[in-house]
Amino acid sequence: MAAAAAAAPTRTEVLALFRSLLRTAKQFSDYNIREYTRRRAADAFRENRALADAPAAAAAFSEGKKQLEVAKRQALVYSLYAPKAKSVMELKVQ
Amino acid sequence: MAMAAARRALLAHLRVPAVHPAAAGGTIPAARRLLSSTTEETKGSFLDKGEVADRVLSVVKNFQKVEPSKVTPTAHFQKDLGLDSLDTVEVVMAFEEEFSFEIPDNEAEKIDSIKTAVDFIASHPQAK
Repeated sequence: MAAAAAAAPTRTEVLALFRSLLRTAKQFSDYNIREYTRRRAADAFRENRALADAPAAAAAFSEGKKQLEVAKRQALVYSLYAPKAKSVMELKVQ
Repeated sequence: MAMAAARRALLAHLRVPAVHPAAAGGTIPAARRLLSSTTEETKGSFLDKGEVADRVLSVVKNFQKVEPSKVTPTAHFQKDLGLDSLDTVEVVMAFEEEFSFEIPDNEAEKIDSIKTAVDFIASHPQAK
């Protein structure tokens, strides 16, 4: 299993994963969690952008896919407990 | 307003060939082309290109890594604005939010400059 996953993900696959994470982040109803998820995804992809060897890149990629599943599950759970009031950050400045 | 803009865009692109009645063969495809464009219009209306360009420019100017003075209608995200491929994904997501529609992955990959973004959004009937 580990040997099969050693091939490095392509650029397109990585960008698609990043896009999926950002899409999932947008689904959170709570401003703070939505922004945290977006920031967390962007930071992690920047941190790992220069992974040179294939196994490390493959490991980071599969970790990212796991995190995407976590985010999808949590977006669903949080939608059941959506905050009743908006965050002050979401209010439009007059 | 949007409908008027769409009608103007449609009229600007429609060309009905003037054929001599003897060569009547040409009129039938023209009629069919007219029919297909009207059904396309009912699915959604196209935004005016100038308005799309203004909104795209302001989205890119508001992106935190971009220097607003460098943003021009012909700027390339990576060559002129110094953005990397991850930033480009984020900018395209910001376009989706601004125009409230979803850009499929294979189309999002092709958007690499202000011009390609404006062309794609202006040709997309769901963009609002």
